[in-house]
Amino acid sequence: MSRVIGIDLGTTNSCVSVVENGQATVIPNSGGYKTTPSMFGISQDGKRLVGHLAKRQAITNARNTVFAAKRLIGRRFDDPEVQKSIDLCPYEIVRGPNEDPRIKIGGKTFTCPEISGIILREMKRVAEEYLSETVQEAVITVPAYFNDTQRQCTKDAGKIAGLEVLRIINEPTAAALSYGMNRKGDEKIAVYDLGGGTFDISILEMSDGVIEVLATSGNTFLGGEDFDRRIVQHLVEWFEETEGMDLRGDTMALQRLKDASEKAKCDLSMRDAVEINLPFIASDSEGPRHLNYELTREKLESLVYDVVEGTLKSVEQCCVDAGVQAQDIDQVVLVGGQTRMPLVQSRVTEYFGKRPHKGVNPDEVVGLGAAVQAAALLDNDNDMLLLDVTPLSLGIGTYGGHFARLIERNTTVPVSKGHIFTTTRDDQSAVKIRVLQGESDLAAENDLLGEFVLSGIRPAPKGEPEIEVSFDIDANGIVSVSARDLATGKEQSITVSSTGTLSDTEIDEIIQEHDLYEVQLKD
Amino acid sequence: MVETRDPKEQVLALAAGRDATQLDLSAAEGYLLSRIDGTTPWRLLREIGGIPAAEVDACLARWIEDGILDVVGTGAARAKRETPSAEGERSEREASSTKRPQAAESAAVDAAESFSPPPIDESALDAKLELSLDVQRRILEFEASLSRPYHALLGIEQGAPPKAVKRAYFKLSKEFHPDRYFRKNIGSYGVRLDRIFKKVLEAHEILSDPELCKVENSTPPPSAPPPSAPAMDAASAGPAEDRPGAAGPKKARPLTKLERLQQRMPFKINHAAIADRRARAEEIFRAAQSSQQAGRLQEAEASIRIAISFDPGRTEFKEALGSLRIAATGARASKLLAAPSERMSDGELREALTLLEDVLPYRPHDPGLNERAAQVCFRLGKLDAALEYAETLLERNPEQAAAHTLVGRIYKDRGDAEKALRAFERALKYDENDLDARRALASLRIGAHDAARGGVS
Repeated sequence: MSRVIGIDLGTTNSCVSVVENGQATVIPNSGGYKTTPSMFGISQDGKRLVGHLAKRQAITNARNTVFAAKRLIGRRFDDPEVQKSIDLCPYEIVRGPNEDPRIKIGGKTFTCPEISGIILREMKRVAEEYLSETVQEAVITVPAYFNDTQRQCTKDAGKIAGLEVLRIINEPTAAALSYGMNRKGDEKIAVYDLGGGTFDISILEMSDGVIEVLATSGNTFLGGEDFDRRIVQHLVEWFEETEGMDLRGDTMALQRLKDASEKAKCDLSMRDAVEINLPFIASDSEGPRHLNYELTREKLESLVYDVVEGTLKSVEQCCVDAGVQAQDIDQVVLVGGQTRMPLVQSRVTEYFGKRPHKGVNPDEVVGLGAAVQAAALLDNDNDMLLLDVTPLSLGIGTYGGHFARLIERNTTVPVSKGHIFTTTRDDQSAVKIRVLQGESDLAAENDLLGEFVLSGIRPAPKGEPEIEVSFDIDANGIVSVSARDLATGKEQSITVSSTGTLSDTEIDEIIQEHDLYEVQLKD
Repeated sequence: MVETRDPKEQVLALAAGRDATQLDLSAAEGYLLSRIDGTTPWRLLREIGGIPAAEVDACLARWIEDGILDVVGTGAARAKRETPSAEGERSEREASSTKRPQAAESAAVDAAESFSPPPIDESALDAKLELSLDVQRRILEFEASLSRPYHALLGIEQGAPPKAVKRAYFKLSKEFHPDRYFRKNIGSYGVRLDRIFKKVLEAHEILSDPELCKVENSTPPPSAPPPSAPAMDAASAGPAEDRPGAAGPKKARPLTKLERLQQRMPFKINHAAIADRRARAEEIFRAAQSSQQAGRLQEAEASIRIAISFDPGRTEFKEALGSLRIAATGARASKLLAAPSERMSDGELREALTLLEDVLPYRPHDPGLNERAAQVCFRLGKLDAALEYAETLLERNPEQAAAHTLVGRIYKDRGDAEKALRAFERALKYDENDLDARRALASLRIGAHDAARGGVS
């Protein structure tokens, strides 16, 4: 049997791992790097470049190099996040036929699952080279806030890469799995994941190889980019004060400030002060102006202190949801590059009253966890069990446009739950069951997964008939819903199949095209 | 054990209404009868010293025939398909229950009546599966006894501490979670595991919630409903609902259903957690407001964002964030947004647009903002965007002449004279004093006239 790999498909970098001899290992690519940039480009002479090769030519070939496609996958073209990317990204994003965003580079239009598929195919190749055997199956991680469509699109991407995706698991869960492997005792673990654009906190309980997610919360408005923005803002204000010039309207200057801020932020994790030097940042009638500023760690910390405090408020809420106290947490696992910041580490240490776990690399821990889950599923010697949860609440639309939750988010699967509903009109003979997914109390704000009608209800005054609606999620996350009239025993049901933005035929066409291309490359 | 066909597992008891003292018995028979207590199986009765096994058999058979004894406990159904393997099976079950002493104990305390080792469907055993026969038996047995009270199911004492509940839940998960048999050829056991795990999950959910636990403990154990009564039980024959009805004249049927619903706690909402979350959101929001009043706008903004993530349903939070962002950009923004766009430089226009785009998602229908955005986009030559904003504005204020004039200008710049003409006409319809529209219309008409004349000559 061929081996199964775990892939952390990241926004900026991806990482592939495998479990060998009971140890999870990160697989380095041929350049010796443990992570590969999630970038894809088409060079001037039409060559397709992935990973480090794509990154290397990104500056000179910006219009034909795709990065951060994960921000777009599974979203609609009109989604604010997509619109934001259109403004920020040098490559062209166009409206696809299914209202999905598509990426146009090198004269060709690619779907987002296709781009992610190309990255995954590269990761697959890295693994195959290392293992000297073909790899056909993988476990892939996604952010905890990913909805059904985004997850399905990630699965499609795997298919395009020639991988069967055994499971899609949440990044924080994967981090916990990686930590929990080969550990026996009872522990409560907090995974603090501060990435580029989002913050996630998960609390998990582990005992003798079984891992259960107790609670997850987070803030999709808060992340490393907020840190950068604070620095930019400060620099702009400072420049206005000292030079009397306002850089706010100058896109070019802002982009340079942003890059410099990000770099300064990273450097300040190791040093106490850095110099930000941006010559010719602007010019006026008196000639060119330069920006030269020394940013100290102290200053940076004062700029972002409340952002870090904000993450701790989410942590507190997560503890409440999980029914634990901060001091009950036995281990804190840090994920995401932003957690390298000393302020973050010290505040987290103070909050939990213990130092974060040192043994894991925040860039690799998620990929390792994916490999651990793959081994847990298929390896008879592996004794781990993840009690995985459903990421979003499920329920039905009810009278008045409300959303009745039958399965709360973070419920362990497989699970079935039911509830009795009734009619809203006298002699109503049929009810429409609209299956919804989401966190809003308003039906309209949640995603419609499917709908069906239960008819033949015996005439009765409103409120009298009893209709039992049951939800069932199996271990693979497949949802089926049934409705039954308790008086007549009549039943209707559907299995909700999640759909990505691509049809099966489209995926097949893409696979064929890439296979052709693969042959061309080797010639 | 030679006579394997005999129903030696039957448990016997004195039939109701029979008085042992009224029977004409020998001393040995009297002694034998005194040993019949409703729990000792026939097999053990034969081993009583002093009476030959054959005599015991004969005596018991006669008493059953005479109606002195009744068969209770495991019953005749089991006896009928007693096979050579049953002996081994039972001893294994005994072994497994000694492994879980609390289970046996609590079962004995709480459910002595309802819990006797359940019969299993031997025909379901299949040696071809990737699942040892021992494991198959364990699964079948566990499945057959799913109707036990939750604590018995988890093998713990009633009122056991949360830690014990969790440990038992994890242990059973490791045994019965479908992922443990991922991709294995396990035939019908896949469905069985699914059913078992869901029940274990339910037991854990209820026993680890003090409130639900109270409900569970106060309601008497359901009088052995069919295993996993929920409708989702696809494998069970016929609608579960029919069974209690068909089972006989049970007056308490509606109550049973209520109980069943309570037991299943299908629609559990953690009101406390939600309320707490909302209260926290509210609290953080109030803190944000006081930060805002104190002029600490960044802090206020961060807090509101947190409030939103705690209680995403509250539109007022989002609105507040929108107005805060307007406020945060301060005097500069109001200057930019108030100055006539005609007099603004390109840089200022672009900045104004960035500001507007920042704010509009929070107030997508604000007429003032949309009007402003339309004008700024128009000045920047972003005609499509301008048109979109203008149209949003018109959706709200369909009679605003200035907006129609703006639409007309946009169309004119796009080279669509006809649509421009109609827009200007509409503007004049709502406000005949709109000079801009009047002038534009006149110039368009003259242009058209000229073009027509030019075409003729």
